Amino acid sequence: MTDTPGQITLQQWDKRFQQLQRAGVPQPNYGGPLSRHVEDGDTRLLKLRYDNSAAALRLWNFLLTEEDRLHKARADGRKLVGTMKDLGTIPVMAYSFDNLVAFYPDGAWWIPCVMELNSGLLNIADKLGIDESFCPVRAMLGAFLTGAHFPIPELLVCSVGATCDDFSAIAQRLNGLGYAILWWEIPHRRHPEPNEEAVKLPGGFSAPKSQVEFVKSELARIKTALEDLAGEDLDEKKLSAGIKKANQVRLLLAELRQIVFTTPLCPLPALEMLIAEMLAIHFCSDQKETIAVLQALLEEVKARAKAGVGFLSADAARIFWVNPVADLQVMNLLEDCGGRICGTDYLFTHALDIIPQDLPPLEALSQMALADPMVGSSADRASRISADINTFGAEALIISRIPGASHCALEGKIIGEIVRDRLGIPVVEIEVPPLTDSIQPTLRTRLEAVVETVRERRKR
Amino acid sequence: MKAIVYSCPYVPAEWIAAHGLRPSRIMPATLGATGPLAIVEGLCPYVHSFINEVMAEKCACGVIVTTLCDQMRRAFDVLTRRCDLPAFLMNVPHTWQTIAAQKMYVDELRRLGRFLIRLGGKPPSDQTLAEVMFAYDSARKSILEAGNNLSARQYAETIAAFNRDGPSNMPNKQLSIQPLNAGIPLAIIGGPMIKQDLEIFDIVEQSGGNIVLDATETSERGMCATFDRRGLRDNPLMELSRAYFGSIPDASRRPNSELYNWLKQKLADRAVRGIIFRRYLWCDTWHAELGRLKDWASLPVLDIDVGGDSRTQHIRTPNRIRAFLEMLQ
Repeated sequence: MTDTPGQITLQQWDKRFQQLQRAGVPQPNYGGPLSRHVEDGDTRLLKLRYDNSAAALRLWNFLLTEEDRLHKARADGRKLVGTMKDLGTIPVMAYSFDNLVAFYPDGAWWIPCVMELNSGLLNIADKLGIDESFCPVRAMLGAFLTGAHFPIPELLVCSVGATCDDFSAIAQRLNGLGYAILWWEIPHRRHPEPNEEAVKLPGGFSAPKSQVEFVKSELARIKTALEDLAGEDLDEKKLSAGIKKANQVRLLLAELRQIVFTTPLCPLPALEMLIAEMLAIHFCSDQKETIAVLQALLEEVKARAKAGVGFLSADAARIFWVNPVADLQVMNLLEDCGGRICGTDYLFTHALDIIPQDLPPLEALSQMALADPMVGSSADRASRISADINTFGAEALIISRIPGASHCALEGKIIGEIVRDRLGIPVVEIEVPPLTDSIQPTLRTRLEAVVETVRERRKR
Repeated sequence: MKAIVYSCPYVPAEWIAAHGLRPSRIMPATLGATGPLAIVEGLCPYVHSFINEVMAEKCACGVIVTTLCDQMRRAFDVLTRRCDLPAFLMNVPHTWQTIAAQKMYVDELRRLGRFLIRLGGKPPSDQTLAEVMFAYDSARKSILEAGNNLSARQYAETIAAFNRDGPSNMPNKQLSIQPLNAGIPLAIIGGPMIKQDLEIFDIVEQSGGNIVLDATETSERGMCATFDRRGLRDNPLMELSRAYFGSIPDASRRPNSELYNWLKQKLADRAVRGIIFRRYLWCDTWHAELGRLKDWASLPVLDIDVGGDSRTQHIRTPNRIRAFLEMLQ
């Protein structure tokens, strides 16, 4: 444990960075003061509050240097794979090769927030006819056209079918502009019919065996494309090893989530936890370093939990959060209002569940892809959320709508109804745009209302 | 006969009819706040109307929803929770170039067949299916042939009636020959229409134009290909799949290049001089095609976005169409 836990500003982090340096705390090669990223235009960083541990500094620096790593990977002769939409499946395959690096162009959806709309990416999307009625992931179009936020990958792979229309439509627009895309189909996960062979998926959902077989055949197509790109075969042994590495990340995150969400005094703030969970999807372009970053965070969290120190008051309202926020600052805001995160579904719970290692590897990956909460019904997703709320002891549910996202119009209401019926806890739906400054008073009021409701319910 | 209602063009009416049930591809009457489901921010007005239409349905014994778009996929979630009508969600693959996708479509038809049987349908023999397909094919041919001699609105209404009622109830008078309209030839492109919006054809005509290509989902673009006689004889189910899944071009397909190939040919064949692009607010699939269509087509494109507020639309749309046609004079 590096110090008394606290949340500090970017300026405070610079001073603290010097202290850490003087104390001889080793820094990775991508390390350095966080404020240097502001010079790249990441001005939102000036308005966030950060965990003050060396482990958190490493996490942030790791996140904010991904573009450098991608350029270096290319310079080193490795091939880049842009994986789109599936949130966690294809990268497991790609990182099973030594000479492939996978990343999510989808990640550009946070650029308007991090650069406080100064990147110009949304203007480019507007000019291409993709206006604000689409999800902020439209920033991806601008990122491709400017080439300023990630190198253009050698191969683009995108899942379609049971996915949100925004992303599918934007990817098709990209395709129409001349970017070749290898599409693969993820069907809507349905419940097995009577007498139909069923498979229990990681995370607890079930699906017909025929759907698993279908997805397997789709993943086999992607595997072939990756093999062609890499110039080497991906045999079962190599893919199994890749799954094992991915599971290392997932195991670390599972432990981290368990401790952070259930320890009486919150040992790691919501913002850092959100960033940490995101690593499960794509490993921030360096799987080995992802493991090291998460190990450091876990050590810190364990030490804090053991010492009985943490953030917020012990009576902070325990909130389960659904969907990632387009504005990172809202994670700070929740804590300002007296809430703490105790459970999440940021659209990729399937990337957190352990991939079965006792199955043929492609079968295991297919099961994992079908376990995606977004490819099934809203009722399924609500069931998983309800189960996780029980596991982590959350006292209220906040559903964070993504502006313009096709799934948000109807699913939030259904999820809310089901969770309220089953668990009887308060449910609130909010919408979080890329910058919330102008609506912060309203958001604050709504979040405070949830916290107050939780505290009142405890008195009953 | 019990009706099965649906709206997706990839649901083959012949398959339902061959099971002894009555397929009825519905066209909602109006948009807006009518029906049990309140207007929801971000919800496509067409999906909203479809849900309300189904929830108010009195003569149907089942509803089929497909995965053609995400909002419709989630409409199924609403229907299963709030509506007593048995509902079936059919996986229609968005990819179409692989054998696996084609096979999935056929498997889904078989699964749909089991749903229909649960609702009282009977499994069809190949001969029954082929006969039904033949009847539908003949009706479609006659509609397409009559298209040149009908006003754009009559043509749209004839197709809508065929979609709703099938070939047996088509009155011959609908196919009567009308005087040719010499207005500026236009195309209308987009997703499904609602009944209320068929007035757009009148507005165009009154403004000096003529819709010569109706490429909305509920018109000829949403019709399956003509059946191959040998396919009908050898394996009617596979032929059904080829004619529907293998032939209907749509913006939702990945890639959707076939839509543009289809448009290229039709726009040239019919000497189209301008395009009315009609899209629903919050329909990402079609909305995203607007920019591409403008880049791609060497024709002027008028964007008509349709929200739930019919009063505003009632004033705005005619004015925009008139201005568009003035420009094309």
